[in-house]
Amino acid sequence: MPQTGNILVIGAGIAGMKASLMLAGASSKVYLVEKLPIIGGKVIKNEESFPNLECSTCMVAPIQQDVLQNPNIETLTYSTVEKIEGSAGDFSVVIRKKARYVSLTDCIGCGMCYEPCPVSLKNEWEENLINRKAIYVPCSGSLPNVPVIDSEHCLRLSCGEDCSLCAESCAFEAINLEDVDEVLEIDVDAVILATGSSTFDLSSIPDLGYGTLPGVYAPLEFERLFASNGPTFGSITLRDSDKVPGSIAVIHCVGRREQKYCSAVCCMYSFKFARFLKHKIPSVNVFNIYSDICVPGKNYQSFYKSVEGVDTEMLYTSSIADVSVSESGSGLKVAYPDAAGAMKELSVDMVILAAAIVPDDDVIELAKITGVNLDSRGFIATVHDGSGSMETSRKGVFVAGTAEGPKDIQNSVVQAESAAGQVMGIVTSEVSVS
Amino acid sequence: MKEFEMREAGQDRKMRAKVGVYVCECGPNIGGKIDLDRILSDLSGLDDYQDVELVVKKYGFLCSVPGKEFLEEEIKSNGFTHLVIGACSPRDHDSTFMSVCSKTDLNPYLYRIINIREHCSWVIDDKEKATEKAESYLRGGIARVLRQSELFEKPLDINPDVLVIGGGIAGMEAALSLSGEDRRVFLVEKTDRLGGVSLDLSGLLPGQGFVISKKIESIMEDRNIRLFLNTRIKAVIGFLGNFEIELVSEENAETTDIMAGAIVVATGCSLSEPGVSDHFSYEASDEVYTSLSVEKMFSGDEGVKLRSGEQPSSAALIHCVGREEKNYCSGICCSYMMKLAGLFKNQSSDIQITEFYRDICLPQKDDQERYKAAEAAGVTFIRIKDISIKGTDVSFEMMNGEKSKQSFDMVVLAPALKPSADTEELADLLTVPLDEFGFFQEVHKMTNPVGTSTDGVFIVGTAHGPKGVSDSMQFARASAGQILTRLIPGEQLIPEVKVTEILEAYCTGCGNCLEVCVYGAIYSDDSRGISVVNEAVCRGCGNCFGSCPSGALRTKHFTNTQLYQEVDEALR
Repeated sequence: MPQTGNILVIGAGIAGMKASLMLAGASSKVYLVEKLPIIGGKVIKNEESFPNLECSTCMVAPIQQDVLQNPNIETLTYSTVEKIEGSAGDFSVVIRKKARYVSLTDCIGCGMCYEPCPVSLKNEWEENLINRKAIYVPCSGSLPNVPVIDSEHCLRLSCGEDCSLCAESCAFEAINLEDVDEVLEIDVDAVILATGSSTFDLSSIPDLGYGTLPGVYAPLEFERLFASNGPTFGSITLRDSDKVPGSIAVIHCVGRREQKYCSAVCCMYSFKFARFLKHKIPSVNVFNIYSDICVPGKNYQSFYKSVEGVDTEMLYTSSIADVSVSESGSGLKVAYPDAAGAMKELSVDMVILAAAIVPDDDVIELAKITGVNLDSRGFIATVHDGSGSMETSRKGVFVAGTAEGPKDIQNSVVQAESAAGQVMGIVTSEVSVS
Repeated sequence: MKEFEMREAGQDRKMRAKVGVYVCECGPNIGGKIDLDRILSDLSGLDDYQDVELVVKKYGFLCSVPGKEFLEEEIKSNGFTHLVIGACSPRDHDSTFMSVCSKTDLNPYLYRIINIREHCSWVIDDKEKATEKAESYLRGGIARVLRQSELFEKPLDINPDVLVIGGGIAGMEAALSLSGEDRRVFLVEKTDRLGGVSLDLSGLLPGQGFVISKKIESIMEDRNIRLFLNTRIKAVIGFLGNFEIELVSEENAETTDIMAGAIVVATGCSLSEPGVSDHFSYEASDEVYTSLSVEKMFSGDEGVKLRSGEQPSSAALIHCVGREEKNYCSGICCSYMMKLAGLFKNQSSDIQITEFYRDICLPQKDDQERYKAAEAAGVTFIRIKDISIKGTDVSFEMMNGEKSKQSFDMVVLAPALKPSADTEELADLLTVPLDEFGFFQEVHKMTNPVGTSTDGVFIVGTAHGPKGVSDSMQFARASAGQILTRLIPGEQLIPEVKVTEILEAYCTGCGNCLEVCVYGAIYSDDSRGISVVNEAVCRGCGNCFGSCPSGALRTKHFTNTQLYQEVDEALR
């Protein structure tokens, strides 16, 4: 098949990977730019995905492999887009490929270089629950399975110390401590923004104790705690201790009032947590404190019903805004108003806050670079033409996945497929013109 | 083993097999943990294969650029008939070495990768044991590769045209997204008008009436869309790229045959009948309406009136009707009930509106504002545990256990969405399974929600499950995305080559395999009394293979002989 068009996809999560594979399959050349050193996005942080509690790695790893092996996809990890000029059918793009210091072609991912590195710091990808070295892969099973050197913390690269222990330990001469950023200039016909989202800043509600009470967890922290390739290899223990929690409260709708929307996935992942917990710690008591249950569509309610009263006790509160968490002896005390508005208390060892999905931290910068409009909540806006179009305010630039708003995996994939279809419209009209 | 038989280009001929066995050191990963020299000498010295020539070598990194060039050159210069690579997981480099084979005369299906890294060197500390295991794996690999057969990709011509079934908002969106100069769309609608349920809805999209009539107009004007109103599907056969469809007119029973490469099912849904369940009871009366009939009144000129002709001064909006019974949440009712509350308030600001709900489910990012607006407009929201509706009297129990009873001028129910009446029949025609609720079943809930087990048939809109207008249109566009990227005019498709074949002499025509095939790839040839596999549809899953009592089925590249020989040899 002859090559038809060049496409830039920003973000290698489930939406970006799906769109890239579809377009590459249609013989377009796809540049898939990912700011992290690995691809896979948020989904690979989950051990299992609702509603079927399917192993996320088993679901996503084949997609990641297809992306990395596809001859029509140039995956640019650890890279960012710096400039997009021009118009639909004729964009010129500047991409900065940050120095990785480890060769993607020579490294085989054996991991011999981590051990000798003298630096130790928090692993952000693991939600700071464990330490990593300055040369590292975010987690085991990372794809591409090639480490990166964190130049801000490497003794040699940040302080000029004469350390090259990693390079010395590499049997493949894959480490190049002299590596520099590379700036690429490419021409593309269309752009898909699939840059994902972040979670609500939990510390902005001090009453819930996040960041001050170690027993209070953000949802992604808990996902990693449960993950078999995570910081505790899947055992559920309290922060910085070996203690297994005996009782856990999940507080729903954290941030819904502040953000003024429902994220539509938190109920389901909260029920998933309850199922996980009961499965791992049969004696555990789980409480879901909620005021509304949002399980839209045909696939979700039956899972909720299978968890309700079995894996978790459901505690209705008339006002999530009045729920608070405080220290109580060695554990935590959750106070909440019940259906009649009377304050109730619950003693637990661990609290998980079901936090809202919010726009990605870098979205404002991205909007500036790509010239697209954001909606009133800060997500990337589509043009409301009443047709389900994924086109943004800039012609030829499309959005997909949670960059457009909170959604589940299914709807992220649907948007990616829609965007790919719209891009095909541009690419094929190009061909017929020429 | 005596002389080895090979099939080539349809003719059998006997030739001496020459097997290349190349073991990758993967630096210290394999080389440092397995005694490769011992393996090399053991395998070279095998006398089991006196009629087979073995060439056994090791190399530093076979997956590197020089490694691949080395391998290519070795295959060419030695004229290998088969190739075994001892290296890493096939997930990493199976495709790498298949592409190397493709550059030579060696058919890529006469090669096999044996995983001696993840399965041996990385998991066994004892070098002796790791070496032993790797060697037995490699022996198994040699035994198997000698029984593999050449397979050839058979590209198929495709028809880029698309059949869209259902002329509602989703079907129209799919048709408009797909039609083009080199792609025709056949849009089939069973009623006499386009638009579906969206025509009855009120104020769902900004400027909705305009949007829908504009869409209908665009379809009418599009010369690449051929519209069949009052028409149903009578028969469908085929597969992605090549479907043959028989349409039948409801007016005169005339049939039309069309050909298309893909089918988009956009047959919509209907409202369920309010039933009685543990926490809901209901008795019909004149002033109890469904949400859709109220939508219709609002989209008409006269607004909402009671049967008496007067405007209501109070209305109860009952959420979640049928949710308990159906065991799913339709995901749209909360939002549209709040919209209706707003429309009632617009009609008469004095009207007293009470929404009885169980959970507020507002999954769209814009919905929450509608909730706030309804509250601000003075709509009362009551969260209930139990509710009983007798005429316009509503008795209910609240979350705090308090019971109460109120009377209204009218009651509006939000019944769950359910599959359209014809869903089952159409599913049969399309060989697409239904899910537990009777909606069309997607291939994968998360990673392929618009695909079905019959590749080339896509489900969109509420035929897939309950959803709102914007999600329906997005699903429609997603199906268009799949079709536009896969059925490219003038290009060919390459179907799976590792498919199942039927050995006709053994087949008794019992039909077990037809039952278990989820892809509808097997049909019964009644005249010959046997089952036949359509190789263009088969995905080689092997379901049928296990169901065959007479051993007549064989999945290419995974035959019993191949599997048993590999295991036997590895365990010897």
